[in-house]
Amino acid sequence: MPSLSALVFLGLAALTLGSAGFVAFSRNIIHSALALLGTFLGIAGLYVTLSADFLAATQVLVYVGGTLVLILFAVMLTSRIAEMKVSNPRGRPVVAFVLVTAVLLVLGRVATRTPWPAEARPAMPSTAKLGHAFLGEYLLPFELGSIVLLGAMIGAVVLARRAVRRAGEKE
Amino acid sequence: METRTFDNVASLAYFAPELGLIAAVLLLVVWDLASPARLKIAGLVVISLAALAWSGGMGAYFLAKDAGPHELFHGLLAFDRFSNLFRVIFAFVTGAIVLFSVPPRGPGVAPELRRDQGEFFTLILVLSLGMNLMAASRHLLLIYLSLELVSVMSFVLAGFKINDARSSEGALKYVIFGGVASGIMLYGMSWIFGITASMHLGECAARIAALTAQQGKVPEVVFVGTACMLAGFGYKISAAPFHMWTPDVYEGAPTPVTAFLSVGPKAAGFAVLVRFFSDALGAGSASPAVATPWPVLAGCLAMATMTIGNLSALGQENVKRMLAYSSIAHAGYMLLGFSVFSDAGVAAIAFYIVTYCFMNLGAFMVVMAVAEQSGGDETLSAFRGLGRRAPLVAAAMVVFLVSLTGLPPTAGFVGKFYLFSALLTAGGAWRWVLAIVGVVNSVISLFYYARVLRAMYLEKGERTEPVAVRPLLGATTCALAVPTLLLGVYWGPVYDFVASSLSMLR
Repeated sequence: MPSLSALVFLGLAALTLGSAGFVAFSRNIIHSALALLGTFLGIAGLYVTLSADFLAATQVLVYVGGTLVLILFAVMLTSRIAEMKVSNPRGRPVVAFVLVTAVLLVLGRVATRTPWPAEARPAMPSTAKLGHAFLGEYLLPFELGSIVLLGAMIGAVVLARRAVRRAGEKE
Repeated sequence: METRTFDNVASLAYFAPELGLIAAVLLLVVWDLASPARLKIAGLVVISLAALAWSGGMGAYFLAKDAGPHELFHGLLAFDRFSNLFRVIFAFVTGAIVLFSVPPRGPGVAPELRRDQGEFFTLILVLSLGMNLMAASRHLLLIYLSLELVSVMSFVLAGFKINDARSSEGALKYVIFGGVASGIMLYGMSWIFGITASMHLGECAARIAALTAQQGKVPEVVFVGTACMLAGFGYKISAAPFHMWTPDVYEGAPTPVTAFLSVGPKAAGFAVLVRFFSDALGAGSASPAVATPWPVLAGCLAMATMTIGNLSALGQENVKRMLAYSSIAHAGYMLLGFSVFSDAGVAAIAFYIVTYCFMNLGAFMVVMAVAEQSGGDETLSAFRGLGRRAPLVAAAMVVFLVSLTGLPPTAGFVGKFYLFSALLTAGGAWRWVLAIVGVVNSVISLFYYARVLRAMYLEKGERTEPVAVRPLLGATTCALAVPTLLLGVYWGPVYDFVASSLSMLR
């Protein structure tokens, strides 16, 4: 009888992988987008089992609450998304399957044979420690993150403004 | 001076070049909003150039003063001669691109760039900041963040052309490919972090060295992690098999952006690649008793990259697309020097990057000058008869192309000479194979560069009237051609300077 934590892990992994497979293979893009919900929630659960409580909460807030809704909006507001023509041919699935299997076998073998350094994790909550790290040792990446976001925002404005102009030109 | 680790506040003095860039970015946004229309472009260019002069000047000042090496921000960033050298290089490249993107004045010529000039210069400066950080990162988190900063800006810049399906297609491919490459790189980083329990390159190095000594070989897990991380680095330098985005993006993007992407982020990719391998993996200082897989891995990448780049360039009619493939091939040549993992190899790469900046920027500038006068035509036919229609620009193009081929008396020859000599000094059958493949590739490249030369001088175009090249473009082109020639005859001081500026924090 496996331990409770192993069972929880297996359940969460199955949820994550199953939804991810559905995202990749579903023919209906809206179903794909909705299936992302399972992946995001599964990942959040995995974070909890790893004692990363703050990360789990952020995952739910940002990905489930924000990104997923955004993706759904994008899918539903894009006109004629269902009758999209794929211009690039899909390569041979057999070759891809063989390659992916080989990579998977190598990764699995190396991962199971490696003596990973394991250490006991301190108990939750981790929020205070994260806060201190971000305002101390990791201040630079924190601020750099805001520069990435600033740049991305300017870029988004540039690209979106073109769309508006195009709509205006058609009229 | 002993190496010191500074905290956040004490680091700021050594972080001044980047602070200047950030200030200029914010200033550009405000200027774009508030300036009078007449002064807008001039102001944008002046602010950008001033910030770049500050960044490059501070880098040169640190080099001259021999400051450092220090660890900044609790060891996240390295402050050493290596990072300062790249600050100078990036400031120069970005400055050239800023001049390059000044829109033509007067009516009649359709501007290739869209009307959002302020945003364009802002994004270019942010990209420059990201490249500076890439060359200085000593922490996996920072490597990822700075790489992503450069990537996101590149995506937007690649899609900057208005109403152009190719530009949009290139940008979208770039986004998808960049996302996948970053994902694989992050996955590789998680393996490295898992085995070393640290994201700091120095601590990774200590742990990996201990494991290597314990097992008598490089642990498999480090190999897997590094191979995955190579996806991210290889995508930045457009090495095969991560090069697929290059031709479409380079062809679709506005020419100044193409020139920038082919030089700046590529150099930054090499900087972070060299630092990661010599810092975290200790590939340059490994004891000879332990056989490392890195030379073979890098050698295979180099051969594949060169060959794919050169063979694909052969049949291209569009000069921009041809230069895109040629830039893949040049990444392959630089990987040759990388595969040696010696100080001579790193010096050869750095010197090649310097020469490559001049010749590649110059070649793209000529393409832009020609395309501007022929209604956006970038194919070979636009170059027909250029030798008579615009003698000076055509002569500059000859210099750039000869240099790209790697023939004397140009900078490209000297750069390639150092690459091959580093390779052959290291010795061994494998190095000889690499060198022979490299030479064969150089010969192949002569074919497609010569096609442009033939079109310019031997073929007659439909139009015979002289081409009026904008003075700014013409002057910058000549300013790039002179060092390309000069470095081919008298390269000693520059090479010595570059080679002495490669000491890295370890």
